Amino acid sequence: MRTIQKTSATQSQKLMIFVLSMSLYGLATLFTELIPKFQVGLVEFSVEFFLFIPLTLAMLFDPLSAALGAATGELVFSEIMLGQFGGLGELEKFLTVTIGVYLAGRLVKDPRNRTMVGLAAITGTAAQLFMGMVVDVVKVQLAVEDFEAVEGLPESVFATEGFAFLNDLLFSGILFCLLPTLYLVPRLYGKIEPLLGMAPRTAESPVAGLSPKILAGCAVAFLCAVAAELAATAGMSLIDWEAEWAESGTALAIGMVCAAALAVAALLVIRKNSERNVAC
Amino acid sequence: MNKLSENLLDKFSMDFLRNQVLKNAYGNDDTVIAGLDPRVLIAWYLFFGVVPWFVQDLPFLLGCFLLVMVTTLLARVAGLVLFLFAVGVFSQTGYLFLATLLFGGDASAVAPLLVLTLKVATISLASVTVFSGLDPDRLSNGLMWYGCPERLSFSISYAYRMLPMLMEEFQNVLLSYRLRGNPPAHDTLLGKVRYLIYQVRIVVESFYPLMLNTAKRSRTTVEALELRGYRYAAADKAVKKIRLSALKVTWNDLLFLALSALWTALAALCAALL
Repeated sequence: MRTIQKTSATQSQKLMIFVLSMSLYGLATLFTELIPKFQVGLVEFSVEFFLFIPLTLAMLFDPLSAALGAATGELVFSEIMLGQFGGLGELEKFLTVTIGVYLAGRLVKDPRNRTMVGLAAITGTAAQLFMGMVVDVVKVQLAVEDFEAVEGLPESVFATEGFAFLNDLLFSGILFCLLPTLYLVPRLYGKIEPLLGMAPRTAESPVAGLSPKILAGCAVAFLCAVAAELAATAGMSLIDWEAEWAESGTALAIGMVCAAALAVAALLVIRKNSERNVAC
Repeated sequence: MNKLSENLLDKFSMDFLRNQVLKNAYGNDDTVIAGLDPRVLIAWYLFFGVVPWFVQDLPFLLGCFLLVMVTTLLARVAGLVLFLFAVGVFSQTGYLFLATLLFGGDASAVAPLLVLTLKVATISLASVTVFSGLDPDRLSNGLMWYGCPERLSFSISYAYRMLPMLMEEFQNVLLSYRLRGNPPAHDTLLGKVRYLIYQVRIVVESFYPLMLNTAKRSRTTVEALELRGYRYAAADKAVKKIRLSALKVTWNDLLFLALSALWTALAALCAALL
């Protein structure tokens, strides 16, 4: 029975944690996606954060599975199911949520230590929000063509993003991440682990504690998120160049139209033929 | 104000949400879009999800927008999704516009913002078409063909199957908390604040039993999967081949691609001429 008692999770237990975190956080984000956001003037009360669910799970179980599960759940339930999948933007969200939750889960050595749990919860939230802010600013700068030329736009973006960051951290961070986590972790500790066939996490568990290696890994992952943006910039100049080239030759555009029209006509004929063949 | 909020709450009842999500997932199998090959649709989406970001031509963007609007209509997407899309697009850029005005920008800020709105709208509509138009099994098969991790396609199938059950369970837990609870009076402003805090607290507390229940359920799920050799099947090439053999590109798919290409080329031509 020693093998069951060991504190690091087996592969199938990791899958269980993944499924658990995915379904719970997915459900919660589905609701937040549906609730209109409260907005009082510039102050946006984003009740976006049910982040306490993956935070709690990451502190009680294997942090990486819980973090990946939460990010996947958000992606699948609230983005893909509701058809709100935004391409590049989702990659950053995926990575920032994963990093934030994973960091918080690793920070906690012993889930019974309340101070540590609270500190980890707020650190994870802050990390996630800050990365989101950086990515947001970069994104707007890239999307609006002459960003600097529009008067008042750069300042307004920096100001609103910075304000939203502080507001989110102080308002939803404390109310929706810190307090619920502090409430849930001690209550669930020792109760939820047996349901997955595991021993509760203790200070000796191999999943606890931060090392420079993990921090470096997180930094690399965040750089990936930023790199996606930078790649987008590079791609932008490339495709811009191509578009200019296409514009200079109107003939090329006409050629493209002709080719596409020809393809449509040919396909229509072929389809008709094949239908006739089937009918015969 | 009170009446308005009650009205909104009526509209957004749990059953309504569940119905809309289910309708979105399984309600439109017979549309033109749902009949197309998922691989073709995903490739189509990659074009309309990426290219608009990099193009600044108004006629071209407008052309793309019209095209994805038509495909969204063809996919017969649930109303709630479209409503969310509209709210999302206009709150995002409208908010930015107001902030720009506040910081001393003038009406000249409108033009780049309009282009931005058009881009965002095109990209989200393309994703609405693909991800709401296809039913989940075909979608996850298509993603798998492109080499997405097995976990993702598993998650999609699992999410669509489990969501109605999860929602119902959440609703039951919430209702049982409400039945046993004693909400504070909410006539005065202070009372209203207290009422709001009470509601939030109930939602948070109801996640406690929900977490325990879901833990049990996910253990059952994973054990059932393991019994059928899921983890080996996920890594095995032969299994993948069998699963994906149902996918077939037909003339309809090619026709769809060709029509899109024709329209896009026309838009590019317009952009070149104007």
